[in-house]
Amino acid sequence: MNSTSGKWGRRRWIVLGIVILFFLCAKSLGLTPAGLIPPDETRWERAGAFFKAALSPAMDYQDENVPEDAPPIWLKGLYGLLLTLKFAFGGMSLAIPLALIMGFFGSSSWWPEPRGRILDLFLRGAFFGFRFLMSLLRSIHELIWALLILSAFGLSPLAGMVALALPFSGTLGKVFSELIDEESRDASTALKAIGHRPLQTFFVAMLPAALPNLITYSFYRFECALRSSAVLGFVGIETIGLYIELSHEEFYYNEVWTYFYLLLALIVLVDFWGAGLRVRLNSFKGGCEA
Amino acid sequence: MSSAFELNGVTCRFGDLVAIDEVSLSIEEGEQVAFIGPSGSGKTTLIRLLNTTAVPNDGSLSVLGNAIADQSVESLRVLRSRVGTMPQHLGLVENLTAIQNVILGRGGQRSTLRSIRDLLVPSRGDTEKIHQLLERVGIEEKLFTTVSKLSGGQKQRVAIARALFQEPEILLADEPVSAVDPARARDTVRLLAELSRELGFTLCVSLHHLELAKEFFPRLIGLRHGRVVFDGAPDLLKDQQLESLYELTADEMMTDA
Ligand SMILES: Nc1ncnc2c1ncn2[C@@H]1O[C@H](COP(=O)(O)OP(=O)(O)OP(=O)(O)O)[C@@H](O)[C@H]1O
Ligand SMILES: [Mg+2]
Repeated sequence: MNSTSGKWGRRRWIVLGIVILFFLCAKSLGLTPAGLIPPDETRWERAGAFFKAALSPAMDYQDENVPEDAPPIWLKGLYGLLLTLKFAFGGMSLAIPLALIMGFFGSSSWWPEPRGRILDLFLRGAFFGFRFLMSLLRSIHELIWALLILSAFGLSPLAGMVALALPFSGTLGKVFSELIDEESRDASTALKAIGHRPLQTFFVAMLPAALPNLITYSFYRFECALRSSAVLGFVGIETIGLYIELSHEEFYYNEVWTYFYLLLALIVLVDFWGAGLRVRLNSFKGGCEA
Repeated sequence: MSSAFELNGVTCRFGDLVAIDEVSLSIEEGEQVAFIGPSGSGKTTLIRLLNTTAVPNDGSLSVLGNAIADQSVESLRVLRSRVGTMPQHLGLVENLTAIQNVILGRGGQRSTLRSIRDLLVPSRGDTEKIHQLLERVGIEEKLFTTVSKLSGGQKQRVAIARALFQEPEILLADEPVSAVDPARARDTVRLLAELSRELGFTLCVSLHHLELAKEFFPRLIGLRHGRVVFDGAPDLLKDQQLESLYELTADEMMTDA
């Protein structure tokens, strides 16, 4: 009785503390409910225009200076999506091999059991080195990576892909190493008992066992990469985000919504595809889950 | 005949706990031996000593004529590839197919690269051989089925086929029938004993079921608190070490219940 009421008491204090912290942060940020309300007439109008445009996405360019022979806006939008996909796909294609290498050294379940001091030191060194590298890579957002890389190497498609690949490889690598280490070691123990080398069991038992989870997770990250790839348009890399940014700057809100809806359609499509893939990959578990 | 195993005063400790206590025995090549004894008596530890994944703290052990204390890491590995082990939990890779699991039986005799290739594109010869083995253990239609979709008894068959594909000189099986119903347990034990005679490998099995051990094995080794309390033919069991045997079956009934 006493212990449960003590637990409740502690929990109440934690909740109270979080609420107080929220109000302190809100106050220091100058946050008031009134802040959401536009301060003057023109802002009101602009907000109204923006949301009204959602009902009538542009079927034609709002910009009168667009040349006659330019492709229709929906085609330009589709092209933007293609570029967005290309960056997401390119970024992930770079990130996955990097993540596999870092995830391999960041996991410990494949370490040989009796091992010499030098090998032990090497493995531990690589373990902590790669874990640190992965945290470093993912602690910096892809937008900041993009700004860093663009300012160093200039605007290029490769720069965009690398900016995406670096933080994504950090996250993927960390999750890969954890997925591999979480797999049951029964199979690799059994195989070592019949003469397999420790590294061999990594490739024939641990990796295959973790593979469905690795693929499912990579696919989920691909969806994230798609959104990030679109956002990279805001720093000048040619994806659909760049078109959104340019139209928005000129207050062509109907065009903005056309691009939004195309992006939404793509993400819904990829999501469905991913859900189908997950069902197929996990069907081996044979459970009753739909 | 030369000996499969020679143990001389072998002791194995886990901290203060003595799991195997000064055991001396020898098992000849081609023998069929069942290790019996209550839970915690040291059967699994003995099997791990025999397949050299556990090392004696005291005493000497030799496997197929090789004193294991003198072996390098690599020569121990090669020795292990000549001894098959079916662990209690089978140790199959659940999301690989039956053929992929069976082909790994030979992994200890093949390079890492070759093993990876075996998983991706098994050679025609291996595929044929594995098909025959699955036929022998009665699940040939499951060749390309993912192991997680098989029943407990079918998984056991895959594990047996993996051990057979290894073509070991000795097969160790730790409680191979703990996960199936009595009728299937009897089938599995009989199959192992038959295969051992047919193919000529030495068979050592740890068993909770005293009746099955008596039915299929010409030699029983009874363990208790890590010591050998009985070693002989099943029909001698009635006279010899009667007292500890009674305790043993009482324990066994408790663990079976
Ligand atoms: N890795 C280990 N670490 C510590 N103690 C262990 C280890 N393996 C076994 N033991 C101990 O050694 C003793 C013998 O265990 P073992 O697993 O060999 O018994 P067993 O006869 O196989 O039992 P069961 O019939 O329940 O499988 C037990 O007391 C067990 O707790
Ligand atoms: Mg055991």
